[in-house]
Amino acid sequence: MQRVVVIGAGVAGLVAAIRLARGGARVALLTKGTGGLQLSQGTVDILGYSPDRVERPLDALAGFAGSHPGHPYAQLDAAEVGAAADYLKELVGPGLLVGDPAVNLQLPTAVGAVRPTALASPSMTAGACVDGAKFVIVGLSRLKDFYPELVAQNLNRTELPGGGRLSARGVTIDVVAREGEVDSSGLTFARALDDSGYRRRFAQAVKAVVEPGETVGLPAVLGLDDHGAWAELAELIGAEVFEIPLPPPSVPGMRLNRTLTQLAKDAGVRYVPGSRVGGFSASGGRVDSVQLGVAGGPRDFRADAFLLATGGFESGSLHADSYHQVHEIVFDLPLRVPEGALVHGDYWGEAQPLFTVGVETDERMRVRTPRGDVVYDNVYAAGGILAGATRWQEKSGEGIALASAVKAADAILAAAESTTSQGVAS
Amino acid sequence: MNDASHGLEFAQTQVARASLDHCVKCTICETHCPVSAVTPKFTGPKFVGPQAERFRHGESVDHSLDYCSSCGACTLNCPQGVQIAELNSQARAVMKADHMPLRDRLVSSTTLMGTLMTPVAPLANAALSIKPLRTVVEKVIGIHRDAPMPKANTQTITGWLKKRKKPATPASRGTVVFFHGCAGGYFEVETSKKSIEVLEHLGYEVLVPRQGCCGLAQQSNGLFDQASDKVLKLCDELRAAGKDLTIVSASGSCTGMLKHEAHEIMGVDDDRLKDVGTRIRDIMEFLLELYEEGDLPTDFAEVPLTTVYHAPCQLKSQGMGQPALEILKLIPGVEAVESGATCCGIAGTYGLKAEKYDVAQAVGKPLFDKVRDVNPEFALCDTETCRWQMRKGTGATVEHPIFVVHQAYGLS
Amino acid sequence: MKTLSADVVVVGGGSTGAGVVRDVAMRGYSAILVDRADLGQGTTGRYHGLLHSGGRYVVSDPHSATECAEENEIITRIQSHAVEKTGGYFVATHVDDPAWGDEWAKGATDTKVPFEEVSVAEVLKAEPRVNPKISRAFKVLDGSVDGWQLVWSAANSAKQYGAQILTYHRVTKIERDGDRVSQVVCTDEKTGEEVRINTNFVLNCAAAWGGQIAHMAGCPDVQVVPGAGIMIAMNHRLTNSVVNRLTYPADGDILVPVHTVCIIGTTDQKADDPDKLVIAWDEVQQMLDCGELLVPGFREARAIHAWAGARPLVKDSRVGSGDTRHMSRGMSIIDHSERDGLKGLLTIAGGKLTTYRLMAKNVVDAMCAQLDDPRPCTTADEQVPGSEDRKNYVITHRLEEREHDRTEDQILCECELMSKGMFTRALADQPKGNFDDLRRQLRLGMGPCQGGFCSMRATGVAHQSEHIDIERATGLMRLFLKNRWIGIWPILYGDQVRQTALDNWIFQGTLDVEHLPGPTHEEVV
Repeated sequence: MQRVVVIGAGVAGLVAAIRLARGGARVALLTKGTGGLQLSQGTVDILGYSPDRVERPLDALAGFAGSHPGHPYAQLDAAEVGAAADYLKELVGPGLLVGDPAVNLQLPTAVGAVRPTALASPSMTAGACVDGAKFVIVGLSRLKDFYPELVAQNLNRTELPGGGRLSARGVTIDVVAREGEVDSSGLTFARALDDSGYRRRFAQAVKAVVEPGETVGLPAVLGLDDHGAWAELAELIGAEVFEIPLPPPSVPGMRLNRTLTQLAKDAGVRYVPGSRVGGFSASGGRVDSVQLGVAGGPRDFRADAFLLATGGFESGSLHADSYHQVHEIVFDLPLRVPEGALVHGDYWGEAQPLFTVGVETDERMRVRTPRGDVVYDNVYAAGGILAGATRWQEKSGEGIALASAVKAADAILAAAESTTSQGVAS
Repeated sequence: MNDASHGLEFAQTQVARASLDHCVKCTICETHCPVSAVTPKFTGPKFVGPQAERFRHGESVDHSLDYCSSCGACTLNCPQGVQIAELNSQARAVMKADHMPLRDRLVSSTTLMGTLMTPVAPLANAALSIKPLRTVVEKVIGIHRDAPMPKANTQTITGWLKKRKKPATPASRGTVVFFHGCAGGYFEVETSKKSIEVLEHLGYEVLVPRQGCCGLAQQSNGLFDQASDKVLKLCDELRAAGKDLTIVSASGSCTGMLKHEAHEIMGVDDDRLKDVGTRIRDIMEFLLELYEEGDLPTDFAEVPLTTVYHAPCQLKSQGMGQPALEILKLIPGVEAVESGATCCGIAGTYGLKAEKYDVAQAVGKPLFDKVRDVNPEFALCDTETCRWQMRKGTGATVEHPIFVVHQAYGLS
Repeated sequence: MKTLSADVVVVGGGSTGAGVVRDVAMRGYSAILVDRADLGQGTTGRYHGLLHSGGRYVVSDPHSATECAEENEIITRIQSHAVEKTGGYFVATHVDDPAWGDEWAKGATDTKVPFEEVSVAEVLKAEPRVNPKISRAFKVLDGSVDGWQLVWSAANSAKQYGAQILTYHRVTKIERDGDRVSQVVCTDEKTGEEVRINTNFVLNCAAAWGGQIAHMAGCPDVQVVPGAGIMIAMNHRLTNSVVNRLTYPADGDILVPVHTVCIIGTTDQKADDPDKLVIAWDEVQQMLDCGELLVPGFREARAIHAWAGARPLVKDSRVGSGDTRHMSRGMSIIDHSERDGLKGLLTIAGGKLTTYRLMAKNVVDAMCAQLDDPRPCTTADEQVPGSEDRKNYVITHRLEEREHDRTEDQILCECELMSKGMFTRALADQPKGNFDDLRRQLRLGMGPCQGGFCSMRATGVAHQSEHIDIERATGLMRLFLKNRWIGIWPILYGDQVRQTALDNWIFQGTLDVEHLPGPTHEEVV
């Protein structure tokens, strides 16, 4: 049986591990800790800005790739990106993701900006910012990460992407998430809202401030394990309801992360958290094993293929030292580093060159040098480690991660098939 | 720092503090903390760990950090490599250096407790289960009257080893050393017996040297100096059994102490610890390594069993995943359902204490519910104190996964 | 237009100006302090936070050393809340000559700077991260001081004596009536209104900007040369005592624990314009190398912010070497009645934050002399407001406070443990302040996440107050993010890169702040 080690448990690592395991590989998912998915807003971005606002992301990809030749999308075509987004949608089901990868939704953020994204939680879509929409944004006085007047008044002064305006007002209610604290996190509220008794009390408090015809915007805390909590709340309130994602801890991100992690385990993936890859051994142009720096000393993990899905600088997968030398920390892979200064002083200016540093890959997602040579035959890369994107600005993170993960997983499975068919023992 | 008696000084100065630089405040640790999930009394791992640490110098002012149970879920799940639980343990040790309650000394003296209890086991069991007496205990030393306490056996592992017949299988695979830990020596003797029998069945000669306590209970109660002395004494004892031999243990938490906690939390930096720490394997980890190498016989008999498997915190924190789950998958008939719970609540001696008891029960509740849903009669878990807590919380029989392996090999 | 009047107008709200306004007010003059921005926004807030024991100058500048030792004792007492008694060490690193310690010790004895030679082992026991290769060490009474608290508490003391503090009042002209100063003309930066202050005396405490102010009064060629120095704050205290190199004063010779961070400083580069200081990459590298000498592994530790300050070094060709008012190497008072024939204007520059009270005393004494109105200075005898209990700052303060109030109040800035109550109170005191003004008093956004988690909270809470509408609130957030970046990007390496990436995910990714509707008026001051 083909053995594959996937390193990193963000959306790229999780999706690739599931696809590999379902495709017949024996997969170990090694991760230093919980992946970045639960820090995300729980939506699937494909392309939001290029740099103008994008309405139809898949249609825009070809043109975007043409003007950004070093971008990961230059190697992932629209069909692949769309199919990968659909794959995730099917994995987690319509309780967690809805939408059409070809069309962006325009959803409000927690400061009242209108943000494009392709797929979203069904709990968010009623917040679509369209002409004539009438919102009441409801905040919770004990939740410090959401200010309803800020959201509402910024939305009010926004000329909407599709033209026209919406009207929104903000109101704050005081609902106790749990006795004895005034500083409750979104997660504390979400856990409380998993309980149907609490849900009823919460709905009553919200209902009291809603006027007829208003759609209710709430912070994205409407239940953690119970994915139907928001819908029941809407019913109890008697109005349409939508969630607005918050900074971490992001409850919609946690829902996706937990669901995908469980799917990976169910598919037979051996999930090893707390495992830091600290070395590897290679021979004949292939990596034979990676070494885990775990309690009690290093342990070797042998595999036929390795997928690097460790993310970018945010996860420490790329490290810029105090001399501005940038390193990839697992395999010390060659990186594409822009010429000149890596950082500049204009916060609102051009994308910082530093954050475009990453690895390059060939058409099968194997890591190659900037000159085009494959580094190791069996080392693949997907997600935030890929060079060339400023994902948070472009709103392209999940699209790149999913398409590259699916493509890499398929390439790994295909490689095993071709060696098996050639009669070589794997 | 080679001198074990410098543990407290280590905590005051070096700490895992350097790792706090990696913290990006991302809140992932908070989402995994089983204690802050059930009580606002605990400010959560990010707060008491990398955040509060920047404000600490001299006198301890943040006594709420004592609500940390040291389960280690924060460190395990931190994607940035911050040693959050270690920071907390060290800060707690510094805090307790000032005022250590009597019960922290008492519940942490596990060998003493076992030694004192064994000869009079029936009496000890009776005494511990008499409520009025337990109430007095709670008043005087602060151990909760309903806290799960071990049941002492009439026979210790040493007693069994002296009296039993020699193994039937010849030792074709060489020799391993078995480390049973205090609980495996005095309270959870069956686990030790079955582990030894499985190892012998596989063809190992099993040496069981005289061995004391690893000091984990003292460590988790902030008594670093005593704990450091104990762990090094234990290393000497295990090393005396033979050079370079693999050491196998069925006591997941004591294994964690030897593998990394004594070093990372107390700063014990000693070649003896390093030697033992790199040679020791949890028994299920040992079996999985054999399997990965193709050396584990998988001629398992069918064991019809659907059960919750709960991986203890201190096993998970060793960064090896859940080896027991991988082994149980190989046994026909077994459906082991992962508990999904972070912690059972006991966290060593945490759940025994009067002011923590309710918190510990709340922490354990999702696990207890899961056991009741899946199989209210029987569950599996790798460490002793967690099994006590689960037994107490569910009324189920809770055993080490080696029981199932033992049965599947036809040994019981 | 608004017209005010005062006996004395103090120009400049740094430590010198705050000390001067307190001193004149305590001597019974009516006084107004004006600054073009907030108090302590210039050099005072941009230094390393050392309250000198005097040890640094025992060889190079003995007079200053003695002054520092005396003033250190006074400031630690009267402004106890702003000062932490950290203690300090002078250590000879392996590249320094331990024999120089003899010269140093002689200097310290002569200048009456308290010290004690201690063993290397004792230093390493107290400060285990200090380089074990040090060969010699002296213990001194260095402290660390919060420059903003120092300034604000002095200003508050002045207010109790009737002084007015007008921040965000930019001086545009100083009018004269014959050979006398008659009026200071300012613009209120928040409203655009012109404010005229009739006065007989102007004390120019604008430090690095002092030449510009003197010029407005028609006194040309006062050359204050900004000596720029950079400082880098590290994420946590690598040492709990001040650690100085036992050498002749040089670049990168000091590590100061201030609040939750420790600060390495500093460089000395001549700058052309105190408003345009740069933090050059090679200077950052130089600081890191120096840090490595004092604390091995310094380069792997996390730097969170950098800034540059401009030392006001007076270079005035018209002041002869025999000028008796040339107080010391660092402290200069220019009497414009002698220099330019203009009565009622004194310019003070140079000096050190540690001796700010003494400088104030000297300049006010000079003013009294010119007015022939001798009144005694009493600033050393009275606690400033907020320090009545005489308790010095300790680092555990906020942790202890939050331990008590965290179930009743929210924590907006988690890195620096700043509660919502602290923020709303400061905002009520300074309703027109921007987040940086509040930051200087509260440490908002000054911890490792550099505003990543608290900026949005501060914006939301500020917007809930009556005075701040949506455009201003959104503008304040934008300005704060932009200003934080000024100090982040020059030291963006190592762990701070991870943080910046996460912060970018939050602000640009999740919140999409870039695409908020723009303010109709761009400037938020």
